[in-house]
Amino acid sequence: MIEEFIWNVVFYTILATLGISIYGIVKKPNLVKKLIALTIFGDTVNIFVIFIGYRMIYPIAPPILPKLDPSALEDFVSKAVDPLPQAFVLTAVVIGMAVNCLIAFAIIQVYRIYGTVDARKIVEKAFPEEKL
Amino acid sequence: MAPRRIVVFVIIFALILIAAYVSTALNINPPPKKVRPLGEFYLRHSYFGNYTAKSPEVVTSIVWDYRGLDTLFEVTVFFLAIMGGLTIFRLEKKKTVEQQVSGGMTLIVKLASKILSVLIVAVSASIALHGHLTPGGGFQGGTALAIAPLLIIAAYSRYALEKHGLTYLKAVVIRSTSLLFLWIVVVLPLLNGYYLMQNQPFYPSRFYNQLISGSLFYYNLLDYIAIGMGFTAIFLYLSIPEEIYKEELEAEMK
Repeated sequence: MIEEFIWNVVFYTILATLGISIYGIVKKPNLVKKLIALTIFGDTVNIFVIFIGYRMIYPIAPPILPKLDPSALEDFVSKAVDPLPQAFVLTAVVIGMAVNCLIAFAIIQVYRIYGTVDARKIVEKAFPEEKL
Repeated sequence: MAPRRIVVFVIIFALILIAAYVSTALNINPPPKKVRPLGEFYLRHSYFGNYTAKSPEVVTSIVWDYRGLDTLFEVTVFFLAIMGGLTIFRLEKKKTVEQQVSGGMTLIVKLASKILSVLIVAVSASIALHGHLTPGGGFQGGTALAIAPLLIIAAYSRYALEKHGLTYLKAVVIRSTSLLFLWIVVVLPLLNGYYLMQNQPFYPSRFYNQLISGSLFYYNLLDYIAIGMGFTAIFLYLSIPEEIYKEELEAEMK
């Protein structure tokens, strides 16, 4: 019972973090803070995918064959976690880091050109004739 | 911290606890006790059976064999993201930087980072080359490898790296070459009558009695070099002094 309660706490904490990070992306005018919220969002999604692949059993094993012996296979399958979410997250982490690098490069360049990272001031400077 | 934020925090925390208690009591979101059928298929077939990848590491065999095309195009996304970053930061012509090496940090930091950078390269190579046996692989090894030049940039300067031959042009060229070889490994089974990106039985699973799991070893090695050098190029670009970019922008504005 207590395990299931902790499981549910983790689940709702992930959902709450997703909500807070979306709020940060939408509400904060500072581009750097938007990027920080975006990285939190990406990491939370990765944790959620890992969370989906978990099994609530004991003992639990990583998805690596302990020995190359067909007789040990059944025992391994009954203990190991789902490997597919881990494989997705593995690539998603590195790709997410590269895309974050690209966004960081863009923000630095925006700062060099406009002298600010505030989204409202950037719009004012880029389109002076438009009224928001 | 403003009291309003504390109130918001407490409300969110209370909502989490209440929702968790309600779902536990009503058994809305029970934790799974079994692996899904697809995951069980991968667990059973990664080393044994007809659809094998000949690797005891199930995650790596999914990443580079069962779901290989996904990963291949994710590598392409990685390539485009780094290329995009370097394009934003490009310099018009090759600036000869006459800035003297100011000496970097203190002797202790320099000596420690000298030892550490060698160790980091060794550990990252171990992570990448044993990717088909233990947790790890090209992606993780590559990101670990990129820490070594970052450490040298921080302790010495970027000129110390360039003086010893690691310029960003070289990093980009090495990265593109290893990606080219990766595509050769992808296309080679197709030219010999197998499917695109097929691992077994085209690639030998053992090399001098060492398990290399067919193409998984080559993918991990090439991806390791590509990702390590890609991040090295990014760090080298990020460490160019800001004054050079200011001059560049002023010249463009005129």
